[in-house]
Amino acid sequence: MKILLISTCKEKLSEYEFVNPIIEIIKSFDYDLINYRNLDTFDFQRYEKIIICGTSLQDNDYLNYLLDFNKLKNHGKDILGICSGFQIICSIFSEEIIVQEQIGMVNVETQIQNPLASGNFQAYNMHNFSVGEVTSFSVLAKSENTIQMISHKKFNAFGVSFHPEVRNQEIITNFLLI
Amino acid sequence: MKLGILFSGGKDSYLAMHLASEDHEISCLLTMKSSNQDSWMFHTPAITWTNLQAESMGIPQIIQETEGIQDDELDDLFTLIKKAKEDFSIQGIVTGALASTYQSTRIQKICNKLNLWCFNPLWQLSQEKLLKKIQTHNISSIITGVAAEPFDESWLGKEIDSSTINELLLYSKKYRINPAGEGGEFESLVINAPMFSKKLEILSSIIHYSNFSGRLEIMEAELK
Repeated sequence: MKILLISTCKEKLSEYEFVNPIIEIIKSFDYDLINYRNLDTFDFQRYEKIIICGTSLQDNDYLNYLLDFNKLKNHGKDILGICSGFQIICSIFSEEIIVQEQIGMVNVETQIQNPLASGNFQAYNMHNFSVGEVTSFSVLAKSENTIQMISHKKFNAFGVSFHPEVRNQEIITNFLLI
Repeated sequence: MKLGILFSGGKDSYLAMHLASEDHEISCLLTMKSSNQDSWMFHTPAITWTNLQAESMGIPQIIQETEGIQDDELDDLFTLIKKAKEDFSIQGIVTGALASTYQSTRIQKICNKLNLWCFNPLWQLSQEKLLKKIQTHNISSIITGVAAEPFDESWLGKEIDSSTINELLLYSKKYRINPAGEGGEFESLVINAPMFSKKLEILSSIIHYSNFSGRLEIMEAELK
């Protein structure tokens, strides 16, 4: 199985925080890492799983490259978007992004049985944006006021608004096992 | 990018700064000086001597005194970071946070409020890898405080070199401590490193120790 990790970090210094912990979880698998600024001519077809990592709260540069992510819509492979990756997945499927600051641990409640997580758990959130309501996706898990996990109704595209690499590493390994 | 370093003088904040300096300009060091030894956020026995480290590196330092009372110390941290933004036009803060969501959440909130980037280059790094990085980056540090079994008073002032690291790794299995001290098992002070122009030499010190808890009180030190 070949995995593609997409960094959404403008600054290399942010990758220590948002990419390296995910590499630590998936390092026993065959993976490649690419930055979002190099996606325009990139061929996704060689990869069975794609993980889009998060980035710093002040980093919104990836929003200038959303068109390059559109190819993922027809990729047909499994995708997991984390934080900014969650917003990217929502954006390419035309969901509305809303301003919503959330920083810190929150209680998350699973809504629908799914392959990534179950029951109630705590998760580390760090984002300035989220989604209000979704139409193309099912809500898999929620916190008090926020959608925390989604999956696309037709494709194997998942999004988590929190950072599973911090306290919920099993969500990433469960994604690899789908 | 111009960055300020949340600097305690220990191995973690130095390493975080070192990694940040590879691509960015280090404009200033930000140091919280807490009078509360049990502070959840800021607790470094040898904090007074960070001024000599700053001098050795030729980096300006801003010090903020705090009583270390929970929540109030966050207001003091906000004041410190705001001052660094105003005085040095920094665009971001770097911390040596590893695993504590308590600390990182609070610092991230302050930076977000001030529209500053927050970089945590050691985030989620394993204790073993951290110790390895300390070695590969040629960071010399000593232990200035202990707060766990099996550390006796001989550990106070001990340099964290390869043999000490081997001992710490053995202790981590036997006593279930974090070998790099993430759980507050010990505190460190960098005495020499690549960004230093002169080494910090401790001329006299007093050991305070009882029942697996102690600190090295440095009385006199100089740059050589």
